[in-house]
Amino acid sequence: MKAAVRIQQEDFSQDEEIRALQTSSKRIGGIATFLGCARDFSEGREVSEISFDAYGSMAVSEMNKLREEAIEKFGLLEARIVHRIGVVKAGESIVFIAAGAEHRAPALQACHWLIDELKQRVPIWKKEITPQGDAWVTPHP
Amino acid sequence: MIKVLFFGPVAERAGAREAGVEFHAGMRVQDVRTKLQGLYPAAFEMVCFAAVNGEHVRDMSLPLADNSEVVFMSRYSGG
Repeated sequence: MKAAVRIQQEDFSQDEEIRALQTSSKRIGGIATFLGCARDFSEGREVSEISFDAYGSMAVSEMNKLREEAIEKFGLLEARIVHRIGVVKAGESIVFIAAGAEHRAPALQACHWLIDELKQRVPIWKKEITPQGDAWVTPHP
Repeated sequence: MIKVLFFGPVAERAGAREAGVEFHAGMRVQDVRTKLQGLYPAAFEMVCFAAVNGEHVRDMSLPLADNSEVVFMSRYSGG
């Protein structure tokens, strides 16, 4: 089985990730997921693809910490986080988060918390590739 | 030797992904920053965070050991 926390160039399968989470415990009653996608439009410009750079070892370490913190904070039974790096074309998937708990409320709350914290704490940077040129994305809330 | 890494917009502005700074006893994170800021001023305009050996560092007076890996980073934009 693939690791619960990964960064990778290739696309991922949401079905495989959910199945891996679901089979980790029969006590799971609710799974919440978040899928981040590459938009084809940003700040008034067309975007053809997004290029991601990462401080890989620290990114994985921080994502593992996030997973462990979420499990503790929300009483999850399991959580998975996958983030792509390299070039992602418009319309493709970027990041996937899945949180499994006995009940839906903690799963949903954990999923929301995980993507917000990932954006704040994980050393990954995105550059939008547009017909007008390339531009690193300035973070906003 | 202190190994310094740059990523994303900081690397692009620096025109490099890696730099080396000669280690000396008593060296602190701020010493490395000051030296590299002089070499890559435009890149350091974007720097918001630092990490030493993969861990966030907020105290720039943290002492460094020889062969440490130091990273100066702009705000993250993953997800």
